Amino acid sequence: MAQPLVKKDDDRDDEMDYSPFMGIEKGAVLQEARVFNDPQLDPRRCSQVITKLLYLLNQGETFTKIEATEVFFAVTKLFQSKDVGLRRMVYLMIKELSPSADEVIIVTSSLMKDMNSRTDMYRANAIRVLCRITDGTLLTQIERYLKQAIVDKNPVVASAALVSGIHLLQTNPEIVKRWSNEVQEAVQSRAALVQFHALGLLHQIRQNDRLAVSKLVTSLTRGTVRSPLAQCLLIRYTSQVIRESGMNNQTGERPFYDYLEGCLRHKAEMVIFEAARAITELSGVTSRELNPAITVLQLFLSSSKPVLRFAAVRTLNKVAMTHPTAVTNCNIDMESLISDQNRSIATLAITTLLKTGNESSVDRLMKQITNFMSDIADEFKIVVVEAIRSLCLKFPLKYRSLMNFLSNILREEGGFDYKKAIVDSIVILIRDIPDAKESGLLHLCEFIEDCEFTYLSTQILHFLGNEGPKTSDPSKYIRYIYNRVILENATVRAAAVSTLAKFGAMVDSLKPRIFILLKRCLFDNDDEVRDRATLYLNTLGGDGSVVETEGEVKEFLFGSFDVPLSNMETSLKNYIQDPSEESFDINSVPKEVKSQPLAEKKAPGKKPTGLSAPPSAPASAADAYEKLLLSIPEFASFGKLFKSSAPVELTEAETEYAVNVVKHIFDNHVVLQYNCTNTIPEQLLENVIVVVDASDAEEFAEIASKPLRSLPYDSPGQIFVAFEKPGGVPAVGKFSNVLRFIVKEVDPSTGEAEEDGVEDEYQLEDLEVVAADYMLKVGVSNFKNAWESMGSDFERLEEYGLGPRDSLTEAVNAVISLLGMQPCEGTEVVATNSRSHTCLLSGVFIGNVKVLVRLSFGIDAQKEVAMKLVVRSEDESVCVAIHEIVASG
Amino acid sequence: MLLAVLIANSEGNILVERFNGVPAEERLHWRSFLVKLGADNLKGVKNEELLVASHKSVYIVYTVLGDVSIFVVGKDEYDELALSEAIFVITSAIKDVCGKAPTERLFLDKYGKICLCLDEIVWKGLLENTDRDRIKRLIRLKPPTDF
Repeated sequence: MAQPLVKKDDDRDDEMDYSPFMGIEKGAVLQEARVFNDPQLDPRRCSQVITKLLYLLNQGETFTKIEATEVFFAVTKLFQSKDVGLRRMVYLMIKELSPSADEVIIVTSSLMKDMNSRTDMYRANAIRVLCRITDGTLLTQIERYLKQAIVDKNPVVASAALVSGIHLLQTNPEIVKRWSNEVQEAVQSRAALVQFHALGLLHQIRQNDRLAVSKLVTSLTRGTVRSPLAQCLLIRYTSQVIRESGMNNQTGERPFYDYLEGCLRHKAEMVIFEAARAITELSGVTSRELNPAITVLQLFLSSSKPVLRFAAVRTLNKVAMTHPTAVTNCNIDMESLISDQNRSIATLAITTLLKTGNESSVDRLMKQITNFMSDIADEFKIVVVEAIRSLCLKFPLKYRSLMNFLSNILREEGGFDYKKAIVDSIVILIRDIPDAKESGLLHLCEFIEDCEFTYLSTQILHFLGNEGPKTSDPSKYIRYIYNRVILENATVRAAAVSTLAKFGAMVDSLKPRIFILLKRCLFDNDDEVRDRATLYLNTLGGDGSVVETEGEVKEFLFGSFDVPLSNMETSLKNYIQDPSEESFDINSVPKEVKSQPLAEKKAPGKKPTGLSAPPSAPASAADAYEKLLLSIPEFASFGKLFKSSAPVELTEAETEYAVNVVKHIFDNHVVLQYNCTNTIPEQLLENVIVVVDASDAEEFAEIASKPLRSLPYDSPGQIFVAFEKPGGVPAVGKFSNVLRFIVKEVDPSTGEAEEDGVEDEYQLEDLEVVAADYMLKVGVSNFKNAWESMGSDFERLEEYGLGPRDSLTEAVNAVISLLGMQPCEGTEVVATNSRSHTCLLSGVFIGNVKVLVRLSFGIDAQKEVAMKLVVRSEDESVCVAIHEIVASG
Repeated sequence: MLLAVLIANSEGNILVERFNGVPAEERLHWRSFLVKLGADNLKGVKNEELLVASHKSVYIVYTVLGDVSIFVVGKDEYDELALSEAIFVITSAIKDVCGKAPTERLFLDKYGKICLCLDEIVWKGLLENTDRDRIKRLIRLKPPTDF
């Protein structure tokens, strides 16, 4: 292909006689435009010049302000000509030049004259031009004519006014909204396009009025809609009404479903697709509702038109995310699309199959994909890689073939994003599928032997340092890591030095050899590499000058950076801006984590994205909580955090203020962390506190509270309330909560809050601190061994009657959640129809006391459940406490 | 929104490009992306056979007509189906103006008329007229026949 971006007139010489615009040049054309000023206008000549001007503009040429003004003034002279063809060109030219506000005035009188012309087509075009160049003041002058035009008998005039309305609604909504009566009338027009444009405009005018939209949909779905385009709009509006109205409670039917289903038999393909999509996107759609839509989509999969195949497979791909089984019937048609000429279609087909396929079809599918991968672009490959990652997590037993596939494509050519997607996938598989770890790490090692991306090499080295030492044979990775020190750039070398140090710290047998390697790094020509090597040699050398204990070494090497990076960045920037004699103190960086915005939080079920994600969510959440609490001076003296509960919602979903609470348990204290979000854009809350009434929690005494100074829209904040309680005792109680604050109105356009606010409060749900809050779920790998080694010194046995229960499973689950302990060896699952069951639990009770529990259940014909509870612990009082919890629960 | 209509010759040189709601700095990217898409896929494609692609949340429908390739780009309600409607109108209008699937020379000879057609079909990103006979009359400022 020739150079794509050159203009036509830059073409090769042998094609020079090819173009009527040969040698066209802006300056010359502007000169030619002087013919517009001739007293005797030559319409043909003028049209030719306008065409040249259009050609220049359509090629991306721009006119300077002066040039544009000159051309514009000249063009306005052409209104004198009565030539129809020229007038049409003049309208277009004025729109293309989009004159500035002060110039528009020159042409308005001519356009106003045309707008009132007896010739319909002058009217239509004048409306379009005026609306394109007009501002608010002029619009009020011509509003009367526009309203008339909307109901004009000539469909072209009506459409011109309606489409103008759609554009003007963005800039002058209050004016356009006044036209709704006329627009309403136009919706009933017999002209198909007028109806389409009117429907679009009417919906935009009324989109915030649910009742009006619902009425509109009800009347139109019963009446006739003339154009397929309008029908598509109606289907969209109908699904909106369905979404907002929910099921019909009396009949259990979904309103308007029959209408949508009827549209599946429409003669226009566009309408069929729109209806099928609307049905597949219904919330809580049943398979009965879904089936007709899937059937028509399946037919389109084998259409001869690529657009229809694409539309069908794109829709089915979406359905496969939520209802994979519904799409399984289309798998055969979908498989034939893998070889589709159109790569977009083939990629969609493959990713759909990866979602709907079962375990037995994985290998066959992988074979087909391998052939396909070589001839698609990186962007499609990334989609496929992500689909394979999800498939592997779904069928972990298939990790071998999927991991092999990933490592094969990792060796092939590809850009950074593609390689990163593969590496991220391998990392996630290593984390989630323990069996895949060793082979996955070796694939990564081989990749960094020949990796051109510094970022990926350093990330992999970091990951290798964390995971490699825990494998059965850590020594086999050292070669790959040390090769980096010899062969790579300074950034990668520095990362490799850190990784070596991690192996040295974790694997004693490797330590002397790592020392030799690190010593070699002392002669590196890069400062950072040498510095790191020196630091690690001293740290690991253990002469006590840098760190004292082995624990500290590991904390230093593996511990997370306890300051949020964004805070660190801000502090460093401030430090540089305001230089001082003192050196930078990392302790001065605030540790409070900025809360994530609402939108991010709402993103449903986001999977960790590989290297950048924390290794495991629960551990890091606990870490984050501990750091957060320690950074608050009032709580710094509470000692070590024992447990943080999962957030408990204190408000219903979608209320004005969303509040949940996390219970943090310390030995002698409980801290309640209220996470609050203000979901109203027009409000700013200030001095937000939670007033906690602990009268039903006798053993708790409130000692501190940390209010929130301000809570703007969509930016969550935290309030803390701390209580003192008797040490080591699992004190329980009920707390009632009220959110109290000063509310200030915010102007949504400027974002500024009013000065004065009003005091207000908001009732939250009650909260309970229960015995299970004092128990950490910690499993044991072999319960029998643990039970025996614990010994029977403090064993306590009691029998309980649990009363009538629906099933044994229900009784087992109730006791597990009451105690908050970790079920071991899968004993939480009760076999169906079983009449007795033994459940084994393990945990750590407050005060760091290990507890093991053996529960034996029996159920009789009357569904009365009896339970024997045997508890062993290192501390007799804990055994007693466990029985008390069950007895009082 | 119908984001762009782009017409190029068989070598990928731009003949017409009209963007709506696309920031100036992104236009060059779109231009080269579309031209490359055409170069990769349009070889040997029959006149008016529609090809489709999606790039992020944007849809592209494109085809070949005589010596020129035509691309339309849209998002949201202008999905692949609405775009195929739009490109169908555009190709019919060009054929009407040129009398047949145009050579590049013929296309450029009729350049002014084609610009007028495009002006009738797409107005600032919205599909306005879809009927070929009507468009044929409108560019000559003649009222539609069905009125």
